Amino acid sequence: MANPDIDKTTPIGVIDRRTARLQDRIVVFFVGLLMVVLLASFWMIHLTVERTAQKTVRSELEGSARVFKYLLELNSQKFLAATSVLTKDFGFREAIATRDRDTILSALTNHAARINASGMGVIGLDGIVVSDSLSPGSAGKPYPFADLISEAGTRGDASGIRLIGGKPHQIIIVPVLAPLPISWVSISFAVDDAVALERKRLTSTDITFVDASTNPPRILATTVPVSRQADLAKSVAAILKAAPNATRVNLAGDEFEVLSIPLEDARRAPLHALLQLSVEEGLENYKLLQVVMLFLAAICIGTTLLGSIRIARRVTRPIAALAAAAREIERGNYNITVNSTGSFEIQQLASAFTGMTRGLAERDNMRDILGKVSSHQVAEQLLKGEIELGGVEVVASVMFTDVRNFTALAEKMTPTQSLALLNEFLTEISRIVEEHEGVVDKYIGDGVMALFGAPVPREGDTQRAVQAALAVRDGVRELGKRLAKRGLPNPEVGCGLNTSNMIAGNIGSATRLNYTVLGDGVNLASRFEGLTKRYHVPIVAGERTHDQSTGIVWREIDKVRVHGRVKPERIFEPLGAVGSIDRYDLDRLQAWHDALEHFRGRRWAVAKAAFESLSGMQGYGRLSEIYLGYIRDLSATPPPPDWDGAFTLYEK
Amino acid sequence: MRFLLATVLASGTLHAATLDVDVKGPDGKPLADAIAYAVPKGPAPALRKREVNVQQVDKMFVPMVTVVQTGTPVNFPNRDPIRHHVYSFSAPKPFELKLYAGTPMAPIVFDKPGEVVLGCNIHDQMLGFILVVDTPYFAKSGADGKARIEALPAGEYDVMLWHPQLALPAPAAKPLKLRADETNALSYAVTLRPSPPKR
Ligand SMILES: [Cu+2]
Repeated sequence: MANPDIDKTTPIGVIDRRTARLQDRIVVFFVGLLMVVLLASFWMIHLTVERTAQKTVRSELEGSARVFKYLLELNSQKFLAATSVLTKDFGFREAIATRDRDTILSALTNHAARINASGMGVIGLDGIVVSDSLSPGSAGKPYPFADLISEAGTRGDASGIRLIGGKPHQIIIVPVLAPLPISWVSISFAVDDAVALERKRLTSTDITFVDASTNPPRILATTVPVSRQADLAKSVAAILKAAPNATRVNLAGDEFEVLSIPLEDARRAPLHALLQLSVEEGLENYKLLQVVMLFLAAICIGTTLLGSIRIARRVTRPIAALAAAAREIERGNYNITVNSTGSFEIQQLASAFTGMTRGLAERDNMRDILGKVSSHQVAEQLLKGEIELGGVEVVASVMFTDVRNFTALAEKMTPTQSLALLNEFLTEISRIVEEHEGVVDKYIGDGVMALFGAPVPREGDTQRAVQAALAVRDGVRELGKRLAKRGLPNPEVGCGLNTSNMIAGNIGSATRLNYTVLGDGVNLASRFEGLTKRYHVPIVAGERTHDQSTGIVWREIDKVRVHGRVKPERIFEPLGAVGSIDRYDLDRLQAWHDALEHFRGRRWAVAKAAFESLSGMQGYGRLSEIYLGYIRDLSATPPPPDWDGAFTLYEK
Repeated sequence: MRFLLATVLASGTLHAATLDVDVKGPDGKPLADAIAYAVPKGPAPALRKREVNVQQVDKMFVPMVTVVQTGTPVNFPNRDPIRHHVYSFSAPKPFELKLYAGTPMAPIVFDKPGEVVLGCNIHDQMLGFILVVDTPYFAKSGADGKARIEALPAGEYDVMLWHPQLALPAPAAKPLKLRADETNALSYAVTLRPSPPKR
């Protein structure tokens, strides 16, 4: 049958109601163990003491039994002697000799009173009752205790205890000698409570006379209180069976040792005397011992309880601390230290736990960058911890891309379609970035921020960043062609590129960390992306990007000063790899750069003419327009002598 | 009286028979104090008028066993320096001689046949027997167990045996025909009751 209580597995985190607290278990175990030991020793001591007490009580009982038997003998001797004296009284003998019943009866009554006998009778030598003061009606009938007469015939006299009218009597048979026996005289003495009490005084045990011939055995006389008599009567059979040894009997809740002594040969009369002693009395000394032991046991248990609670707390407190720490980790808080007090093992556990926490935190920190890294090598390096992810200063290139007139595109499409298109752009840009071993840092609206040289710096990072920007430009152009076929407006991409020192690391709250880069250079890259709109060029790159890459044909765009900074920054547009630009374009580029030189040399008129000649050429219209605007302004208000030809960026 | 006695004696001597009785106890040993008596079949013989003494010597009846013919007066002379109180509750002759010294004034006449047990009220151990028989022909065995009844006139008799401890029933009467000047012999082997326990 399946036990419904037992599940095959207990899910983690589900608290089993049967799972007691470890602390409680430890305490219960120790206290339980002590209890078992204490109980065992109590039991052993109790057993020993009990046995000793029983032995003591029993030997006392045996002594009492000897006294009792002696008393029995003595009593019968005493009665015999008294009776013998009585029967030798001449007057008594004369009365017997008259054979006159009334005379004899009155003599019997008179003489019985002399020795406090309860009855007296005369029996003929033939065994026929002549007269009996206890039962006058029995005259002429055979005497009921013929065995006693027969015994008196051989021994000269006899004594026995017999029931007369259901009550025990000690019966003495002696002959009336004249001087030879002329008849028998029987004298009976009641064995009653008074006799039992008398015997109790001499034996110092409770005495009970019982008749075992009836079922249940009948108590004839006793010194035992009425309240215990019923139990005693029930136990008689067992007591008699144990004879001549004493046996243990419970009477109305108290323990007694009881010994039975046959008052007679049991075949003649099933009468017994029961001698009993309270076991309690034998155990009196043990009572004190018991109290002392209970006291000691209480101290023991108390000490163990306190001690085990202390130990349990020491064991469980660090575990509880670990549990609390685990809950913190669950919430994402790795900023915890586990208090490692307690035993060696607990300390080990705590330190392992702290290590684990640190590991978890690091992995969590890495999770973001891992998602950005396409290279397996980089991912492995990251996981092995070979790459520092803390805030480190790196030299890296940042690229911001933005798809322009995307809003116009979106207007002609459903939201689902425009989102799909945006994703197409972003996917393409991301693919290109990854192709050039860059990392997509984040998506900003419809734009992308990509990193080259962080988190892992490699040779040729800047070069690849420039190539990636060119690839993005070309890719978007290709896409634009495909869109134009579908009758959609041509999207344009703006791409800001800058290489500089920056801080790389995990940024954010403890619960949510992002790996990214920070710094003026980063902001500048973003500005450059914005400048693509101003200059109507697809890519604006910083000076360092320009300086650190080779094999690229560059067009210098302008010199800008970022608000708040002193040093102006030259900005360039990569046009393509060397060799990919045709002669005609290179000539125009030369003309552009010449015009720029004239401008910066304050040769306004020459510069103006050069820009004007360039303004009609494809790709130079907007740039020439901007510079012609500069020249207009500068001609109107000539610049100070320290003018460096830079345009100050005010707006973001 | 003396004449009559003489006559009887004379006739006994002259024409009488003799009966020798040999009594042995259960162990085959001679039994003393056994009384053999021959009761003639016919009229009871006349009483041989003579007194018998049962003395008290050293707190004992001497002799312990006495046999008398019915009607015989018995004196109980006290030879001790102390008094005795002789009595009997026996049916043939209950009597009581209250504390006396010397010889009581009048003898006790045992006028009915039977066994009389004698006791002394102040000396429990004193025990004596008087066997009262309806015949003058009796004898008591001595230590040798032999009792001789002499001067028995010829005739038919029932011979009886008695002893204080004789087990009951007593041996049956033995009929015997005696001739003058003849000596007859009888022997008894008897069983006895155990002597009563002394208390
Ligand atoms: Cu006397």
